[in-house]
Amino acid sequence: MVTRSWTQNRDRKAEKMSAISSLLNGKIAKTEDAKKLLETVIESGDKVVLEGDNQKQASFLSQSLAAVDPEKIHDLHMIMSSVSRPEHLDIFETGIAKKLDFSFAGPQSTRISQMIADGTVQVGDIHTYLELYARLYVDLIPNVVLVAADKVDRDGNLYTGANTEETPAIVEAAAFKDGIVIVQANEIVDKVPRVDIPGDWIDIVIPADQPYQLEPLFTRDPQNVTELQILMGMMAIRGIYEKHNVQTVNHGVGFNTAAIELLLPTYGDQLGLKGKIVPNWEVNPTPTLIPAIESGWVKTIHSFGGEVGMENYISHSPDVFFVGKDGTMRSNRAFGQVAGQYALDMFVGSTLQIDQFVNSSTVTNGRLSGFGGAPNMGSNPHGRRHSTPAWQSLRPDNDPLGKGQKLVVQMVETYGSNKKPVFVDHLDAEEVRKEAKMANVPIMIYSEDTTHIVTEEGIAYLYKTDSMAEKKAAIEAIAGVTPVGLRSNPKQLADLRQKGIVALPEDLGVHRNEAKRSLLAAQNMDDLVKWSDGLYNPPAKFRSWS
Amino acid sequence: MWIFPGQGGQKRGMLKDVPTEMITRVKELTGIELTDSSQSYQDSVQIQLGILLLQLFNIRQLQQIGQKPDAVAGHSLGIFAAAVTADVISEDDAIKIVYLRSTKMKESYPSGYGMGAIVGLTRKEVEAIVTQVNSKTEPVFTSNQNAELQTAVSGSITGIQKVLELAKKQSASKALLLKVPVPSHSPLMHSVADDLEKGLAKVDLKDPKCTYLANFNGHATHKAKDIEYDMINNLIYPVYWDTMIDVAQELGVDTTLEVMPGATFTKLVKAKFPDFRTITMNSMNLDDIEFLLNKWKRG
Repeated sequence: MVTRSWTQNRDRKAEKMSAISSLLNGKIAKTEDAKKLLETVIESGDKVVLEGDNQKQASFLSQSLAAVDPEKIHDLHMIMSSVSRPEHLDIFETGIAKKLDFSFAGPQSTRISQMIADGTVQVGDIHTYLELYARLYVDLIPNVVLVAADKVDRDGNLYTGANTEETPAIVEAAAFKDGIVIVQANEIVDKVPRVDIPGDWIDIVIPADQPYQLEPLFTRDPQNVTELQILMGMMAIRGIYEKHNVQTVNHGVGFNTAAIELLLPTYGDQLGLKGKIVPNWEVNPTPTLIPAIESGWVKTIHSFGGEVGMENYISHSPDVFFVGKDGTMRSNRAFGQVAGQYALDMFVGSTLQIDQFVNSSTVTNGRLSGFGGAPNMGSNPHGRRHSTPAWQSLRPDNDPLGKGQKLVVQMVETYGSNKKPVFVDHLDAEEVRKEAKMANVPIMIYSEDTTHIVTEEGIAYLYKTDSMAEKKAAIEAIAGVTPVGLRSNPKQLADLRQKGIVALPEDLGVHRNEAKRSLLAAQNMDDLVKWSDGLYNPPAKFRSWS
Repeated sequence: MWIFPGQGGQKRGMLKDVPTEMITRVKELTGIELTDSSQSYQDSVQIQLGILLLQLFNIRQLQQIGQKPDAVAGHSLGIFAAAVTADVISEDDAIKIVYLRSTKMKESYPSGYGMGAIVGLTRKEVEAIVTQVNSKTEPVFTSNQNAELQTAVSGSITGIQKVLELAKKQSASKALLLKVPVPSHSPLMHSVADDLEKGLAKVDLKDPKCTYLANFNGHATHKAKDIEYDMINNLIYPVYWDTMIDVAQELGVDTTLEVMPGATFTKLVKAKFPDFRTITMNSMNLDDIEFLLNKWKRG
């Protein structure tokens, strides 16, 4: 009988670790040895996770990887949730990497389109965040993972703090399957403030030459909220939040949702809704929520990641945020995405294009931005079984075995920032599918999941429509003077309003002339700082004073 | 990133600071005497050689104050000075090739052809109109993409005029005929590209010392052969300027310096990325440029 070894992966890992033992002091390596270390522990063709989250980037390790000798290491299969930095794609140009499985590529969307089209990057697939994490445990189990931490002690215990994001999900997939876990550390300390990831799971720690890249992606200056967005926010609060008795919510990152956050303590209060709607949130700690938190609207917030400048404010509000005993926030994108998909009444987001069938996408010509969390949160989870009043309010009344549905709301102005219609017959994404030779059109949110659309014209209650023809008519009714909107006629509109499928501002008791900037709870960044009692510390680029 | 404009910004007296020995060198290599007068700038050979020489002089000035770019982006004719900056081609060879390019362009279409510009429509919208109008007898093509909503068309004057009319009807905010006597950046320039291919076959080209953004596909490259292709063929492709700037931004570019003449492309950059730091040699003296670039480098 042939003796079969069942520890081949473990043996290989042990060999690699012993080959670099002279470079390590315990688990700690020297900054200048990073390239040599990577060249020793990574093999050509390996599956490598490079941590590029939404906010946090393992920038020292990505630069080190880009510096390895392509003769020694080539054809890597990269797995990255966010392709954000130039070297994330440079490694494909130099041949270090060949294949890519990813989720989001917004900051490199033009280059990635070009490189897919000319074959420089071979795409495995484009995923939502949750799908990509899931595959790390099934058919994309990594050989090496490269992640970032704030503080690391001599035993390799990691403190990842407010920006824990997806580090635990990535590390776990390698640590228990004989993958090699390499961490870049902002700082080596004797004792970490708290253990976010146990040292037992970590193989190599490299002190970085500078702190990891961290961007304040979810900060919106109230100064830039327009009166049109305020009008739409008022309509949404009346026609959706109040009407459906929404308790749990995720907001996208746009100014539309920032407007709603800033209207709750003012307009929402006038409507007597305080204490009645949206106490529980799954959302990044966006500064425009400060007034709603301070005035008692928001009870709890769980977050995917941190937000630069919010650290101190969060530390002072552990009743609201998820905060460790050490006093700093803990985020977790994987759990956040699960919560966003299964535990929420409603997702409210925005998009760049909506087609006549109500599919929407942020992928436009020449730009393959990929997906982030929106497709998870902006979908109706078929595995959901628990009921809430908002969910139940969408239940069709003609089906005895029916169930509720998640509210998926898209807020768009009929014309985008490029003065082109948001409502189109066909998505640019259809062309992009052909150019990038993808199996499916990169649609962000599908028609079947979209329950409401809000424009400056009104709200379409799409879940109430009973045919595609009626759905199209509902869209036309609120698409303004876009070519799609011009197909609507007064009779059709009257009919839809009568059926409650379309509501105009006047149907909701919203007065267009009341949509003024003075209605916002904060007019600018300075107001947000005041609301926070000086605890919020805006990043320099958002300061107009100093 | 350094930006090198193409034709359009030439004006009388623009070569007044250029050393005589550089002007003499052009004469030695091409037989052309650059007179730098309004009248001479009616002629496309004078225009192209004049602008190239001005840009070669600007490069020397910038090198003298110790500057070098991370990336170069030329528009049309501008790619030759961009290639010199990146050490791909020598000054002499660039002058010889631009001489060839400009004489062949002048010979190719004596009359009845040109370019137009449309503002306010997307490329897709312009393409739809062009497809409608384009024919064997009135050829017209979608050409340069200078901004998301700024597209050029190139071809026969009659074809262009029809496209412009339709664009206006489709609520383009501007649709006008440009003062360009050739259908540049369209398939109609194939014969010139063939001549340039022969001309460049004799020239020794090196890999660039910095990132080069190519006109013909809007990609960044570090290979001499891609730049050679661009120098030969950019006339038969649209200049994908808007894409070039997107790619530059994704590569981390946040500072641009536009060499002379003019400031057209800096305006486009500012409109697209208001946070970019920009300098135009047209409006700033060398001491100030040196001070600013060094200050920004220190952070």
